[in-house]
Amino acid sequence: MSAKSPKTAIGWGSETEFEKRRGVSAVEVRAGFAQVHVSELGQDIVEQRLRVLEAISGTGVSLDFLKLTPTGLSFLVRQDDSDKVGAAITPLGVRHTIKPNRAIVLVHAVNIRDEEGMLAELVHRAISSTAKVDHISDMHDRLLMVAEAGEAERLKVRIQEARADEN
Amino acid sequence: MRIKVMKFGGTSVATPEARLQSAMRVVSAKEQGFSPVVVVSAIGRKGAPYATDTLIQLLREIDPNVEPDPREMDLMAACGEILSSVIFAHTLKTLGHRAQAYRGGQAGIRTDGVYGNARIIGINPISLFKSIEEGCIPVVCGFQGVHVSGDGAPGGELTTLGRGGSDTTGAAIGAAMQAEAVEIFTDVDGVKTADPDYVKDAPTLRTVTYDEVAELAHLGAKVVHPRAAEIAMHHDIPLWVKNTFSDDPGTEIVRRERFPGRRVTGVSHTGKLVYLQFDLSSASEAHRTALEGRIYEMASGHAVNLYMLNLSPSGTGFAVPRPQYPIVRDLLDGLVIPMEGEVYIFQIGPASKEVEMQARLLEPLGEPIRIKAALTEGCTMVSLIGHEYMQQAGLFYGVLRTLADHQVPVLQTSDSDFSLSVLVTEADAHRAVRALHERFGLAEVV
Repeated sequence: MSAKSPKTAIGWGSETEFEKRRGVSAVEVRAGFAQVHVSELGQDIVEQRLRVLEAISGTGVSLDFLKLTPTGLSFLVRQDDSDKVGAAITPLGVRHTIKPNRAIVLVHAVNIRDEEGMLAELVHRAISSTAKVDHISDMHDRLLMVAEAGEAERLKVRIQEARADEN
Repeated sequence: MRIKVMKFGGTSVATPEARLQSAMRVVSAKEQGFSPVVVVSAIGRKGAPYATDTLIQLLREIDPNVEPDPREMDLMAACGEILSSVIFAHTLKTLGHRAQAYRGGQAGIRTDGVYGNARIIGINPISLFKSIEEGCIPVVCGFQGVHVSGDGAPGGELTTLGRGGSDTTGAAIGAAMQAEAVEIFTDVDGVKTADPDYVKDAPTLRTVTYDEVAELAHLGAKVVHPRAAEIAMHHDIPLWVKNTFSDDPGTEIVRRERFPGRRVTGVSHTGKLVYLQFDLSSASEAHRTALEGRIYEMASGHAVNLYMLNLSPSGTGFAVPRPQYPIVRDLLDGLVIPMEGEVYIFQIGPASKEVEMQARLLEPLGEPIRIKAALTEGCTMVSLIGHEYMQQAGLFYGVLRTLADHQVPVLQTSDSDFSLSVLVTEADAHRAVRALHERFGLAEVV
C-alpha cells in the first residue's frame, strides 16, 4: 500500500482487537452512604410519598436508589447529608429510619442486557454470598447493589472469586 | 486513503428505490474523495420476505416443536445479509462503480464461538484494503463473522453477532480500517429525544455521547446498539446516525470530553414487560435468602432478562420481557421447595389449577406455605436519560410529581448515573413519555 495507507501499526495483515470479554470485568465499592426507609405512610400513599420527596428536595440533597415499598419508600443519600434529610422528614411526622454506613457495589459487565440471564446470575451470586443486599439497580455496563459497608466488601470478594473461578 | 464506513439498515435496502438512494449516498461519498466501505443489513424488517426473522421462520415452521440448532440458525440468518450485500454491490455496478460483496469471514471478521450472539475478537481487513486498492467498493455483510476453532478445519464456522449486529460490524470495520467516520444510515434523522411514535416532532439530537446513546439503547430506544458505541468509543472513531432518505445532518456520537455539561438527553421506553413482586413475608426468616436465591438461579439458568430489580426485607421483584414471561411462569408457578421442616409452594398471580393440585398433593405433609407473586401484566419502563443530571436534588420529586399530575400511577422506580426509570402500565406509557418530554423541556433541544 502507498503512503496513503493506514497510518499506524494496524495496516494490512494485522488484526485489531475489539469487544470486551463477556461477563464481569471489574468490581468496586463506593462507601459513605446512608439508607433511609420511610414507612407506614397510610392513606393516599402516592401523595404522601410526594410530600416526603418534596420536603427532601428543599434541602438540596440528591437521592439515589429510590424504591417504592408497599407502605412508603426507601432511598440512599450521602452519609454527610443524612442529618439534613432527617431534619426535613421529621416535621412531617412520618415513620422513618436512617441506616448509616452503607456502600454501593458496582459490578462492571459491558452490555449486560445482551447476555441474557447475566443480571439474574449476578443477583443469585450476591444472594448466595450471604451478604444482605438492600437494593439493586442496573446500567448498560454495570449492576449496582447497596449493602452495609462490611457486607459490601465481602460481596465484592465473593464476586471476584466467582469471576476468577470462571477464568 | 480516507475510509468512510457506511452502514445501511433494513429499511435503507428494503426496495429498489431505497437501495438506489443508499447507493447514491455511497457514490456521493466516493466523489467527495472518500474510499467508502459499505455494510448492509438484511433486506427489510420483520415480515419482509428476506428479513432475518422470515428466514428463521422457514426452519421453525418445519416443526414448531423442534428447536433448530443454533449453528443452522446462524447459517440461515446470515443468508439475509449475503443476499443484501450481493444486490447492493450489483446496484453500485449499475451506477458505474465496481463493487465486491464480502461475507463477514471474507472481510476478516473473527469471532468467538457463541452461535447467535458471537462477539468480535479481531478483524484483519486485508481483503477490504485490497478491494479498495483495486478500485472497488467493498460491500460487507453485517451481523456475521467466522469462528476459527483451531482444529485445522478450513474456513471456520459462520457465526452471527446477535442484537445490533450490523451496527457492530460497521463500527468494528471502521475501527479496524481507521476510518474517518462511521455512518449508520436508517429511516429517521438521527437520535431523537423520544420515540416519534410517542412524541410527534421529537427533536433530533445533534450531538450525544457514547455513554448516553448506550444508556438510551439499554433502556429501550431503538438507536445505535451499545456494542457499536463501545467499539467506536474505544477506538475513537467518529460515529454518525443519519437518515438515508433526508438531507438532515444527523446525530454525531462523541466522547464525553467532547460534549461535557449537565443536560437531559431524552425519554425512552421499553417494549412490553410483565412485573412480578414476590412476597416472602410468609417465609421464615432463615429461609428467605435461600428462596430468593432459587428465584434468581432459575432466571439465570434459563437466560431470563430482568428489568427493575428490587430487593426488600419483605421480598423481591423484577420485570421480564413479555415473550419470556411464560418461561418464568412455567419455572415458578407451582414450584415446590421443601426446606428444613417447611414446604413452600410458589404461586404467580391468582392460584392456577396446577398450584391447587400441588397444594392438595402436599396436604398429607402439612399445609404448604405459599410464596405469592403479585402479577402485573402489560407494563412498560419509561426512562429519563441525562448527562451529569441524575444527581440533581429534587429530580425524583419532579418526575413523580409530573406523572402524578398526569394521572400516571408508578409501580416502581430504578435509577443509575445516567437514568431514572419508572415502571408504568402500557396504557399509561404514551402519556408518561409525553409528560416527561414536556416537563424537561426536550421539545426545545437542538
